[in-house]
Amino acid sequence: MLSIQHISKQFGPVKALNDVSFEVPNGQILGLIGQNGAGKSTTFHSILNFIQYDGTIRWQGKPLSPADFDTIGYLPEERSLMTKLTIEQQIVYLARLKDQSAKDIRPRIDDWLGRFAVKGTRKSRINDLSKGNQQKVQLICTLIHHPKLLILDEPFSGLDPVNADLLKQAILRARDDGAAIIFSSHDMENVSALCDQLVMLRKGDMVLHGTLAEVRNQFGKTELYVTTDWSADRLATLPGVGRVDLRQPGQYLLHLTDPAAGPTIFAELTQGHYIEEFSQQPPTLDEIFRMKVSEDHA
Amino acid sequence: MHKTWIVTLETYLRQIKSWSFLFMVIGPFLMIGLTVGISYISANSASSSKEVAVISTSKPLRRAYLRQQTDNLNTRITTVSAAEAAVKKNHLAGYLQLSESHQQIRADYHGSSRMASGLKAQTQNFLQQYQQARNYQQAKLTAKQQRLLARTPVLQQHIAKKAGTANLAKTISFWILVTMIYIILITYASIAAQEIASDKGTKIMEIIFSSTTATSYFVGKIGGILLVILTQIIIYLVGGWAGYQIALNSTAVKPLIAENQSLIDAVLHNLLNLNLVYLFLGVIIYTILAAYSGAVVAKAEDASKAAQPVIMLGMFGFFATFPFQNNLDALFVKILSYVPFFSSYFMPMRIINGTVNGWEQLISLLILLAAIALFAGYIGSQYQRLMLQTDNRSFWQHLLHGWRHQD
Repeated sequence: MLSIQHISKQFGPVKALNDVSFEVPNGQILGLIGQNGAGKSTTFHSILNFIQYDGTIRWQGKPLSPADFDTIGYLPEERSLMTKLTIEQQIVYLARLKDQSAKDIRPRIDDWLGRFAVKGTRKSRINDLSKGNQQKVQLICTLIHHPKLLILDEPFSGLDPVNADLLKQAILRARDDGAAIIFSSHDMENVSALCDQLVMLRKGDMVLHGTLAEVRNQFGKTELYVTTDWSADRLATLPGVGRVDLRQPGQYLLHLTDPAAGPTIFAELTQGHYIEEFSQQPPTLDEIFRMKVSEDHA
Repeated sequence: MHKTWIVTLETYLRQIKSWSFLFMVIGPFLMIGLTVGISYISANSASSSKEVAVISTSKPLRRAYLRQQTDNLNTRITTVSAAEAAVKKNHLAGYLQLSESHQQIRADYHGSSRMASGLKAQTQNFLQQYQQARNYQQAKLTAKQQRLLARTPVLQQHIAKKAGTANLAKTISFWILVTMIYIILITYASIAAQEIASDKGTKIMEIIFSSTTATSYFVGKIGGILLVILTQIIIYLVGGWAGYQIALNSTAVKPLIAENQSLIDAVLHNLLNLNLVYLFLGVIIYTILAAYSGAVVAKAEDASKAAQPVIMLGMFGFFATFPFQNNLDALFVKILSYVPFFSSYFMPMRIINGTVNGWEQLISLLILLAAIALFAGYIGSQYQRLMLQTDNRSFWQHLLHGWRHQD
């Protein structure tokens, strides 16, 4: 388990992290969300001891030491490889630094290239690969030694939906193998699809923490999805409705000022008759993200 | 240690396989080969026209001349007409006509240009001796009278030996050694700075530092560069030895080597001893400094700028030796022979001159080794912070920041 307790980091006058605490148990995925400059990469750099920080970070109950390096898989935010090497040379070199033998790694390379649908052979030079394929090779370098702690900084950036799906499968496989995984992303859909828990940072402060359900439920079931022949103006007169958004003709999203108004609205809207859609839900992660960001701007 | 070796091997193989290394190593051999080849072709093409024929109606006189003198002589041509024809066709440089009339020896040279100075001197010497022998014979002198007349004055120089003065072998050894240190240092300071700075540019360092410690990686990088330097030195030593063996078997060069054998032996002795260790350690400490300079730059393009302070320091050491070649007892030389970065230039000077004892050499060597260890340890501890710094601060700001924040 990765345990982060009360870590803070200051860069000159800027507070990059302020008393951040969370845990990532083995076999679980934690998503780290936040705007640019929120402190996501600083958190990763603190975990990896790249920078000095205040607070405690423990991996499997002990401070992270060079002895743990071989069990870590790290994908930095900015992609970079040794462009003059071939795919095989690059993978073998980085795997050997993770204490893997070249003899063990070489037979696995073709399988991994196939798994990520890399356009190129093991003898292709990194320089000759497209940006997307270079990114996939870097992902292979991060995963091929079966890390127990996986740290992925914006792993989905630059990947098309097909390749993003391939990456999701690889992350889920690593989780099933018992790895503790922490990754950052701006794409809330990926976070919702993968994470067991999430943390949102805003200017170094931890503003959200919990499972996806816990986080969403913190905001109450304030979103009501209905399909009806009522007009938007008429829907706005219902009790507890703050705002009405038209989704599609006949389909609306009602923003409730009071989640308890749900049953009353249901009774008035249906009048005891069949209604195609009536779904009261907490806000989506995307909406929560926007809400939290706008709180800061307010 | 295992990961350090992986980094060393990767750095070494990448450098060795590069075209720049190949050209750097074979460059001097190509230059030497080209020079020798051109000289050989030019000598061969000119060989026929350099020869001189010796013509004489007196067979004993011609035989005596040929016994004394054989180089560049054509012995096949024996008549004036044949010699004139050969000169016209540029097969002969000229012909020497020897004659004797009324006990007077005479030599007439006919050619398209003046006689070569060596041949002229030898011919004059022969004529002098031959004429003298004839004169003694004619004058009917006794053996004692002949000895008395043959007596010549003596001029001998007596030079007082000074401890700090270098002789020819020492001077040659000194120049070879300091030039080798200087050239290797200048070459590899840039390579080391570039190698480290190019890592920084790619930001692959974050991945590497999640796999191994910065110190281990830094030592591995330096190890790789030093292996490349060692490879180059070994190639030059083997190449030099092979060239020497070829020269020993060459009829053209062998006499020259034999003539200067003691000088060559003395120079080799001066080079192939502790001085070679000084050369290598000197290059190590400068390479570490260059690597540090490479680590503080913000972009790979600034690497050449980063290597400048190291190159300047190396140049200072190199040029500082010049005024002291003939004054190796100077206090300045003695002090700098213990100061790291300079001891690699100054201690070999003193060793070559034989003015330093074993203990002094050992102390200087230990100071240099300790400085290398401390320096590498310090930079290793700073390396991760330096390599992950990616702001736009200038080289000097980074350097100052590096010294101020030794966390």
